[in-house]
Amino acid sequence: MAKFLSDEWLEQCKKYMYEKLDPEADLKNVTTSLLGVVEHIPPDDSIMNFYLNFDNGKLIDFVVNKGPTYEKEAKFVITGSYGTFKSVLKGEMNLTIALLKNRIKLKGSKVKALKLMKPLDGVILSLKEVTDEFEE
Amino acid sequence: MSSENVLEKLNSKYEETINIAKKGTHCGMCRFDFLGTGLCPSGKKHGFLAYWPQGRMQIFKNLMSGKVKPTKKLIEIVNSCSLCGICDKQCNFATQLRPEKVAKALKEYVEEIDKEELQNIPEDKNVIELRKIVGEEWATNDSIITSSYISSIIAPDSKFNFYIVMPKDAEELSKVIKYANSNNLPYLPRSGGTLLSMAAPTVLSNAFGLEKGIVIDLLRMNQLEIHPESQTATVGAGITAFELQKEAHKHKLRANVAEAGAHVCSNIASTGILSTWGNKYGWAADNFIDVETVDDEGNISYHSDLEIENPYTTEYGFTNISLVPPLIVTKVTTRLNPVYDDEEAVFVPFENIQDAIDLSFKIARRGMGFSNVILSRKYLAEFISPTPKIAEDFEYILEKYLKLNYAVDIICNSDEKKIIEGMVDYTIDKSTLKSLILGCPKLSTLKDSEFMKILSEEKDPLKAIFAGPMKEHFEKALDATPENISKIYDEDLQDFFKKAYSKPEMTNIIWLHEHRIFPSRLMRQRMFLPMGGVIWTEYEKNLLDWINMFIEVGDKNKLIHALGFISPFDQGRFACLEYDFYYDHNDPDAKKRVDNAIIESQEKSLQIDGILSALNFYFKGLYRKEHVLFPIAKAISDDDQELFRELLKNIIGEV
Repeated sequence: MAKFLSDEWLEQCKKYMYEKLDPEADLKNVTTSLLGVVEHIPPDDSIMNFYLNFDNGKLIDFVVNKGPTYEKEAKFVITGSYGTFKSVLKGEMNLTIALLKNRIKLKGSKVKALKLMKPLDGVILSLKEVTDEFEE
Repeated sequence: MSSENVLEKLNSKYEETINIAKKGTHCGMCRFDFLGTGLCPSGKKHGFLAYWPQGRMQIFKNLMSGKVKPTKKLIEIVNSCSLCGICDKQCNFATQLRPEKVAKALKEYVEEIDKEELQNIPEDKNVIELRKIVGEEWATNDSIITSSYISSIIAPDSKFNFYIVMPKDAEELSKVIKYANSNNLPYLPRSGGTLLSMAAPTVLSNAFGLEKGIVIDLLRMNQLEIHPESQTATVGAGITAFELQKEAHKHKLRANVAEAGAHVCSNIASTGILSTWGNKYGWAADNFIDVETVDDEGNISYHSDLEIENPYTTEYGFTNISLVPPLIVTKVTTRLNPVYDDEEAVFVPFENIQDAIDLSFKIARRGMGFSNVILSRKYLAEFISPTPKIAEDFEYILEKYLKLNYAVDIICNSDEKKIIEGMVDYTIDKSTLKSLILGCPKLSTLKDSEFMKILSEEKDPLKAIFAGPMKEHFEKALDATPENISKIYDEDLQDFFKKAYSKPEMTNIIWLHEHRIFPSRLMRQRMFLPMGGVIWTEYEKNLLDWINMFIEVGDKNKLIHALGFISPFDQGRFACLEYDFYYDHNDPDAKKRVDNAIIESQEKSLQIDGILSALNFYFKGLYRKEHVLFPIAKAISDDDQELFRELLKNIIGEV
């Protein structure tokens, strides 16, 4: 278990996804990339992002960076506050609701993004399983 | 004594008042002056919902159920009520409840309580900072005040980790949002709260409500200016439909507005103002010239700004669902429309819905009429009748004896009236309509009368009673006077209601259509959940299938259910339909059945060509209707149906 967005968190997430997620059953053989931008991170109101890339249900890239952008272009960019990501990872709110409530803003087609929700369930589950600590 | 025993004792002592409080539905009719009584002085002064009659009812309910513990603030809330009785008059007109009895019980409860038991809720860092923005008295974390927002924005099972903030303008709101963001506090704006209160008892509660954080109550934004020269009005987010209409009317102008208690700005953002006047005045972005908005970063902007991205468009498709407005509308410059001297109301009664649809759509396609709607007998009965029992009997008479199941209800000019009268065999005239409004208590007593039995044996009872030899006898039999209708009210309110019903506007059909004070009666003492949406009238053949689907779903789930209205708009190109499921919001079993009905009817609506369901147009009111409604929606595929089911599951959880 690790603190959200820490190096340890990244490693544990990768390990979990490689070991526990089946590309077909859990990730529906999805091919896509996603950039998650996390704003208003306490205590200094900073921004970080995480980039995930899947090819046919296999995780091929997962990195965490500082700032709002990453060098690789993602198919979908979701942006939300640290509090919103925290709620999602703590299971208080699901990602779909966060999107429909505008808590998470999406760059890209909302219709296509919602079709991705099912394959992304496995990813969110992995992140949830690994994350147990947050900035206060 | 244990706290459970204390509650048991209180519940027994205050049984009557608890029942009144529980029947409250947050219809909001106690928050604007629609009967000339003036406003609740306490609510007007303090603003927070807790100080209004509907809030006191909610607080009492919360205290008696043990959901919240009394705080020191409760004393101030209780003392702010002078028991002036305004709420009883307003609430009785809409719901037949006596909120003053609840206010009295609350006072008694506070007097008797051990003052040592009153909690002191310390202000925390967030309240201190929020108060710096909006002023000392307009931000709170007091649990009694926050609990008054339960069931109208806060889900009934939420914890009390909320702040209530009342900014006075867009600048203060902007600062509140920026503070909320930098401190990771979710927030949600609230105006009239009716839409949220309809969702609150159902599976939609968590989807539409706020789970924690800041409730931003927009009531203080009460700017209202009429500009007769440009036929526009500047309207702040705290202004209700009734208040705008009342002011516009002074200048012989009319706004396109929703029901009386709906706040104009939030209604624009939520359902885009769906009214019976839509065929002439439009829908969604048709309704405004400009809007002042605050986005989720706290940026204030206007649609008239040259630099902003196109604000009128939205992605098309059945998965484009929004559970919150894209922007908070703090002020709108809305269109007003001229009121003409020769305006008339035409009511055409029908037994058969297809005949009603044919007439209504034909009139709409010819561009006639200002307001055009097919009202069901349920709506007619609920709107006109001052009590639920009278409504029930009235509806029975309409169905069984008069065979009046639908009425095409048109407001038009005198030339159009002649044309419409030429299209039908007979209409209900002004004097009969007035008699029905004032005489409905008497009519309900004729339920098993010989007169009704004879009438029902006529070949065309509608014609006989509204245009034939029985018309005169019928009107005479109704004995329709303000004095007679006032007799159905409690004795101490009869003089007031005699005067209220003596006012010409109370029987003026056009005024009633504009000011819409009757629809709140649909929420009297029980809740209803409006379903439906928009249908392309090219797919008119699917309209009856759509209605039949709702009937099947309502029957299957053992709910009281009925068509509400069908109203064409955009020169008859589209029609809006509302179908309602009625239920007791205090009955957990009824809530489950309405939950099933919501899900089932929502899914089945998408399987019909030419339909955009209600869930798909919520919070799209700031866009151009063309972007929301085009191209024609087609029935979705099995794969998409699966996706939609998944989406619904994510929104509302497993039922």
